[in-house]
Order: sequence, then structure tokens, then C-alpha cells
Amino acid sequence: MDHRKQKCFACGCNILEKDVVALNRKLFGEKVEKFFCLPCLAESLGVEVDELLEKIEEFKAEGCKLFS
Amino acid sequence: MIKRPYIYADNAATTRLDPLSLDAMLPFLNEEFGNASSPYSFSRSAKKALQRAREQIAECIGALPEEIYFTSGGSESNNWAIKGLAETRSAVGRHIITSAIEHHAVLNSCRHLKMHGWEVTYLVPDKEGHILPSMLAASIRPDTTCISIMLANNEIGTIEDISALSPFATEYRIPFHTDAVQAIGHVHVDVQSLGIDMLSASAHKFNGPKGIGFLFVRKGTPLVPLIDGGQQEYGYRAGTENVAAVVGMAVALKKNCERMEQNSKRLRCMKKTFSELILQAIQAAVFNGDARRRLPGHISLSLPEISGEALLHFLDLRRIAVSTGAACNSETIESSHVLNAIGLSESLAKGTVRITFGANNAEDDPVIVANEIIAYYNKMLKP
Repeated sequence: MDHRKQKCFACGCNILEKDVVALNRKLFGEKVEKFFCLPCLAESLGVEVDELLEKIEEFKAEGCKLFS
Repeated sequence: MIKRPYIYADNAATTRLDPLSLDAMLPFLNEEFGNASSPYSFSRSAKKALQRAREQIAECIGALPEEIYFTSGGSESNNWAIKGLAETRSAVGRHIITSAIEHHAVLNSCRHLKMHGWEVTYLVPDKEGHILPSMLAASIRPDTTCISIMLANNEIGTIEDISALSPFATEYRIPFHTDAVQAIGHVHVDVQSLGIDMLSASAHKFNGPKGIGFLFVRKGTPLVPLIDGGQQEYGYRAGTENVAAVVGMAVALKKNCERMEQNSKRLRCMKKTFSELILQAIQAAVFNGDARRRLPGHISLSLPEISGEALLHFLDLRRIAVSTGAACNSETIESSHVLNAIGLSESLAKGTVRITFGANNAEDDPVIVANEIIAYYNKMLKP
């Protein structure tokens, strides 16, 4: 699937980063159909964007295939 | 942004060090640094503290002080008990009985022996996680050298009826070991009424320090030295004793045993609050394990059509720590051997989270955790 075709379910922007698509899958399951861009995801979770970026780095370090 | 403090609801993984335990340890990390094995008076207090700790621990489980061997924790105790019994009793036979829901410290010790020619029978529990006495009786053979069945399961919280299983071992003179890592300090444990020969425990599961545990070995039970060297631990586990950790472990265990009834009552109330909230909102939710014979504060919750691993990460971002019933490696998500063994469907197993409340949880933690899980579930499954 081309991640660049994913639009944010909340604001409608194009989600350009594949890591953000991967993070959506990691947090909502691999079958997730609605994707959020990083700022909208952070807002819906009540966390800072930086916290999500840190999570992405942790998942990558663990070798999660979603982020490869 | 979330203002409340982080909620730690993974007390089956580890617990917070009790302040009393820390206070008791500090002198032995500072001024009382003597080697407990040294003959001069400077080491006297370390030596006495070690003996006192051995007595306190023995008293908590109905054992004799000389039946307590200090180890680095539960995994070491399990390895020592199982591999040691196999080695000392190899003339009798090469057959071991255990259960399919043991901790990996037991399962992998058995796997090691299997690679070296031992046969292993893995008893499969019923759907609540109980090993049936009839099943154990039927699996005993003339060449069975040891039986190892856990006291309480770390994933689903079920407490095994060890006193109904151990008589079969006694009848055939087979040493019976139990992994009591999850149970000690949380439920009453008496080695006499359990009728066991060996028991493993780990301090950090009952608010003691990490890196210390013990193995109870009933007098007369065969044992091989784990570490050769000096005469520490009666010559069976050489190496300078970690006096501070041993003292901290004894204090934590004593405190937990003294407050067991009130802690247990409080944790059962928290579990009830949590379960009621979840069931009101999610009728399809499944609670695993025995509803009555279980560890207090221990919840294994399965939710259909969601990923437990995804829920864990969501909760982490919401400042809540829980555990999951499935382990994600780089390639696949493998569901737990325990959940598989009790017959849970693959889908439910993958949607399982373990929530374990402990002595340090606040009264409203179950409400917050339940509401976060419900919010996530609704976000995932409701349009």
C-alpha cells in the first residue's frame, strides 16, 4: 500500500511519512482503516507530538517490521 | 495533556520497593559492609542479619531456616531445583512432569534436559488453568524423577491446588517442586500444608529488591551444588552473600505477610470495580482464569477484535502500564503459551491484556484504567 495516499481522518491532510502510518497501525491494530497525521493523533491521544516521535524510535529500535 | 501521575498496573512483572525494605538495606550498603563469611567482629552484624533474614523467611512459609537457600531470583531457583533434581536422581530415571502453563524458567529448564535425553510430560490444564490431580496421577511413571507445578500462574492468576497434587508425589517418593514466584507475599503459603519439597521465590514480586530470591529445599531432598567455591549457603551456592538484598527481601516478605489479609481485601475490591465497569461497557469481554481461586489484584482480560499489543501501547501513551498476552517480535505476534493451553481462541488470545494492581495503586486507579480501555475499545469498534 502506498502510504502517500493515506489522508488524515481528522484534518484531511496527506500523511507523507510512512512511520506515521506504521504508528497508526501499531496503536490501533494492523487492520486499521482510519489514519491520523501526527498532530491529530497526538491531540486525540492527549499527548505531545514529541512523545509519539519517541515511541516511533523505540519501535524501530525493537525491530518492529511495521517501521522497516 | 494528561496531568495525572503514571499508573503502574503491571505488578505481576515487578513491584515497587517497600520503603521499610529500603531502610533495612541501607546500613548494609554503607557502614555495615562487612563480608558475612569473615571471622572478625566487624562482620558480625552482617552475619547476624543474614541469619535473622533466613529465620524470618522460613517463618513466613512454615519452613526451617536451614531449608532456605538464597539465590539471585526466581529463574535461578527454578533452574537449580529442576536441573538439580534431574541430575541427582538420574539413576532413578529420566522423566519429568510439569505443566504446559509454567513460566519459561521452568519450561526452558525442562527443554534443556530434554535436549540431554530426559523425557518431559507437559500436563494441559482445564479452561480455568487448573492441573487436575487425576491427570498428574495418570502421568506418573516408575522413572519419574521430579514434578514441577507452579503455585499461581503469572498470566491468568489461577492458583493451583498444590495440596491436592503433592500427595501423588509423596506416594511415589518423587520430589515435588513448585514455582511460587507470583504467590509468595500475596497469598498464604505454608510448605507443610502444601506438601512440597522445593519452592522458588523472587523478592521483587513482593516489594523487595531485584536480583534476590530463595529456594526452599525440604531437609532430605537431594540437591546438587549450584556454584562451587566457598561455604556460603551450606556449600551449595558459593559466592559472597548480598546481605543488603537478603535483608530487604526478608523485611518485604514479613510486611507483606503481616498485611496480607487487608491488602488482599483491598485488591479484590479494586478488581471487582474494574471488572464491573468493563462488563457494563463491553459485554463481549472475557476474564481468564479461575474467578475464585486466583491472585488478588490480578486480571487477565480478553477483548474480541482488538490487538492487546496495540492496546498496551495506547495505554502507555495514556500513562498506564499493563502487560499483554501476546509478544510481538520483529516478524510476528505470538500469542501466549498459557492462553493457548487453556483453549482461548487465537483471536481472543491476541486481544488479551494483563492488569495487575498492587499495594501501591490508588483507589481510583481501576476506574481510570477501565475507562481508558473502554474509550479505546469504543474508538476501535464503534463507527
